[in-house]
Amino acid sequence: MREVGIVGIGHTKFGKSAVPYLDMCCNAALEAMDDAGAKTGRKNVIDQVFVGTMGAGMVNRLSGAASAVVDTLNLRPAMAETVENGPASGASALKLAYAAIASGMCDCVLVIGGEAMREVTGWEGTDFVATMLHPTGEYPYGLTLPAFAGMFTRLCMDKYGVTSRDLSIVSVKNHDNACLNPNAHIHSRVKLERITDERYIAATNPLVADPLRQYDMCPVSDGAAALLLVAKDKQEELGFGHKPFIKVAGIASATDTHYVADREEPSDLLAVRLSAQKAYKMAGVGPEDIDVAELHDAFQILEVEESEETGLFPRGSGHLAAREGKTEIHGEMPINTSGGLKAKGHPLGGTGVSQIVELVKQLRGEAGDRQIKDAKTALAVNFGGFGNNVVSTVLKAE
Amino acid sequence: MEQMYAYKCTKCGKLHHPRYIVCQNPDCDGREFEQIPLEGKCKLLTWTRVYNLPEGYMMPWLNFGIVEFENGVRATGQIGFDDGIESGMDLVSSVGVIRTKVIKYKETVEEPVYGFVFQKA
Repeated sequence: MREVGIVGIGHTKFGKSAVPYLDMCCNAALEAMDDAGAKTGRKNVIDQVFVGTMGAGMVNRLSGAASAVVDTLNLRPAMAETVENGPASGASALKLAYAAIASGMCDCVLVIGGEAMREVTGWEGTDFVATMLHPTGEYPYGLTLPAFAGMFTRLCMDKYGVTSRDLSIVSVKNHDNACLNPNAHIHSRVKLERITDERYIAATNPLVADPLRQYDMCPVSDGAAALLLVAKDKQEELGFGHKPFIKVAGIASATDTHYVADREEPSDLLAVRLSAQKAYKMAGVGPEDIDVAELHDAFQILEVEESEETGLFPRGSGHLAAREGKTEIHGEMPINTSGGLKAKGHPLGGTGVSQIVELVKQLRGEAGDRQIKDAKTALAVNFGGFGNNVVSTVLKAE
Repeated sequence: MEQMYAYKCTKCGKLHHPRYIVCQNPDCDGREFEQIPLEGKCKLLTWTRVYNLPEGYMMPWLNFGIVEFENGVRATGQIGFDDGIESGMDLVSSVGVIRTKVIKYKETVEEPVYGFVFQKA
């Protein structure tokens, strides 16, 4: 198969968007195109556009978002498809872009991930996100993603000794990292004592889905991110020879039971493990080769458990690694240097692409104050549903 | 009052909940199922109390849990009491209204949706 790499990146400021959904996606796309030097109109070389989104049709009343982006950016007659895979829509769009180029169908593909969640009320947003749960066995009960994260957290606490304080440690770390990321949703440092001290925890860090508290989960964000991908054998010809080629060395997804209760071991994240193993194998690397990782911490317990399922830490020790500072920017295995979903924000379909943007910056050496020295190989995990569809990606600096 | 069911593959006997189209046994391809009442004693595997409920639930919180019945089938549902909830405790399943479905067409119609509500054993 052909080598596929990223030559352009774009990223809007996450938070509450000041512009409509379509504009937000186009702004991220133009930034990625400008980064690579891609042109519009007659000079366009983009063969295909993928837009990853979970709710553009349902929340923003814009179905066929990719077609709208192609037309708005004057990229006609490029092929256009909108990709929906829950919160993993962004990485799924990247996976399809990889396949389109590797197969020879396309030479250059634009990937956008975006969501504008804050156009609706919190109640409506919670309900909309919950529609990814099982349609008869879970959703009708009023169950939500935080509900499953709460039940999952309790299992991990019972089995591995994870504590509420451990989750707060992860949260504090990600807030610190986000303060170094201009595009992050939340720019405020949090003191560990302030969100863990029993004397005022009910006010500073209230329960949301017992045992999960407010600081154990991500905010609701608007935002978009974009990538321009090209075949290695066409990079020069298409005019992108001046840009670093960040190789998509491995990309794979795996699924698990839709009905969470049906999982053989409910405290495992099997789809994370299997997708990471496939991505490592494709890239010819192992977890010991990863210099920096972006893990899907919609809930802080997920960063801990994903760090184990991906092999970055032994099973049952992810929370201990966080306690010891190993996952901090200057730790032995930096995780979520961007601020993660916790503090950079989580615009569903935008997240998987945003994770890749951060890792491309790290591999280019353009991450500023949050730069990991000599980063060469990176891992992203984008988590859909409550772990029933997960995409893992390994990037390498060429 | 509605009845909750497990679905027994007529080919290999595996019990399922909720309903599937194809048997989930990796060594079976059964497509026909017999309905078996799913009720009685169960054990609470994990639980949560959610304070931020989706649209349509006008209450301060709801308790949810995953249980395992004596026949090995697991199910997710609401927990019908507030005090003394602990993982590992014995429960008994009941069927109750878990949501009210509101249909707005010419006139508003409200339909109860039934499901598992687990109670103290």
